[in-house]
Amino acid sequence: MDKIRFFLQQSWLLISASLVFGVLLAALNAQWEPRIKANEIAKFNRRALALVPEASTFETIDSEIIVDLGKGQKTHVEVKKALDAGGELIGWAFAVEGSGFADKIRLVLAADAKFEKLRGYDVLFSNETPGFGDKIKNDFFKNQFHGAPVKAYILNKIGDAKTIDDQIVAISGATVSSEAVVKTINTFLRQVQEALRKQGQIGNGQ
Amino acid sequence: MANNDGKTLSPGNVLLAGLWRENPVLRLLLGMCPTLAVTAAVKPALTMGCSVIFVLLCSNIVVSLMRNLLKPHLRILMFTLTIATFVTIADLFLKAFQPDMSEALGPYIPLIIVNCIIICRAEACASKNGLFISMIDAFGMGVGFTLTLCVLASIREVLATGMIFERPVLPVAGDSGGWFVPWAAMGMPIGAFVTLGLLLAGVNLITRRGKG
Repeated sequence: MDKIRFFLQQSWLLISASLVFGVLLAALNAQWEPRIKANEIAKFNRRALALVPEASTFETIDSEIIVDLGKGQKTHVEVKKALDAGGELIGWAFAVEGSGFADKIRLVLAADAKFEKLRGYDVLFSNETPGFGDKIKNDFFKNQFHGAPVKAYILNKIGDAKTIDDQIVAISGATVSSEAVVKTINTFLRQVQEALRKQGQIGNGQ
Repeated sequence: MANNDGKTLSPGNVLLAGLWRENPVLRLLLGMCPTLAVTAAVKPALTMGCSVIFVLLCSNIVVSLMRNLLKPHLRILMFTLTIATFVTIADLFLKAFQPDMSEALGPYIPLIIVNCIIICRAEACASKNGLFISMIDAFGMGVGFTLTLCVLASIREVLATGMIFERPVLPVAGDSGGWFVPWAAMGMPIGAFVTLGLLLAGVNLITRRGKG
């Protein structure tokens, strides 16, 4: 009994403060969480809309898409249908994540309705080196994926960046960041395509 | 009211201490992590500074109010709990109302929890002084920190991009025929170290001349 009394005498302030601060944080989180989630969705939609400008809405598909990242790691991908004003499917968009030079990079990928050609990618988050790796946000590099066939892309240090195919020309001075983008896209793109095909969402005349 | 040296603490003295005499970055060399990491541009530096002012002010108020109830061996735990709460509030606020800034600052907002300036002021000032002096101290230190970050960020942003607040101030060389060649290194960590070093050297020079 004395031990409990001693414990309470010593720690009552800490316990009370923890309770008060906890309630304060819970209340603020409940208040702001919808806004935080809306911000994340709005950001994804902004980027995806730039890739599929004809889209009117992006609708998450019900079925689950799991991508194998290698070394026993798997991740769930939230794939969205890009629908025009009439509700017709005009493309697909989803967020992917991979390791960059200094930090994670998160990209939005978009493909056409048949999932045969890539509509391109945009950067949701990256912390690549300013002036070098952050050029993955530049049109020179991004445009190489615009209209490229959905297949495994190969990174080259030299080549014609204006030719749209599976050969991607790296950013000068930022090979690691270029590789990171290509590797991340290669990891996700074909697996998502395969999963959608298995689910009957693409192919078979759809 | 007196400080450790027996000198009277006047609100004006406390305020000026944070701005110059005991400037957290330039004189105490505290908070070096955000100073080096978020000063590539003025916007994130200003956001970081405002977040630190908010956390410093709130934690100093809470610590000062409960200073007579603090058990010596539990005080650091109480400081950390208080600071972590207000940092989480700042982080949630930025995510909700300034999502782009929140993303640009990345982990550096949550890392304010381990920023030495906050715990230093809680221990050195708020746990020993009344509410008013603690608030003035937090404000002075916070504004001193913010101003230093902004000066550092202005120099780096101009030299790295030719812009301030993302608005062009120098004609960048290119198709439009400008003369300024952006100095990419200033936007990188090396630029932060070099600029901070030169700024510290300048402050030391001014201080020595003042003493002489």
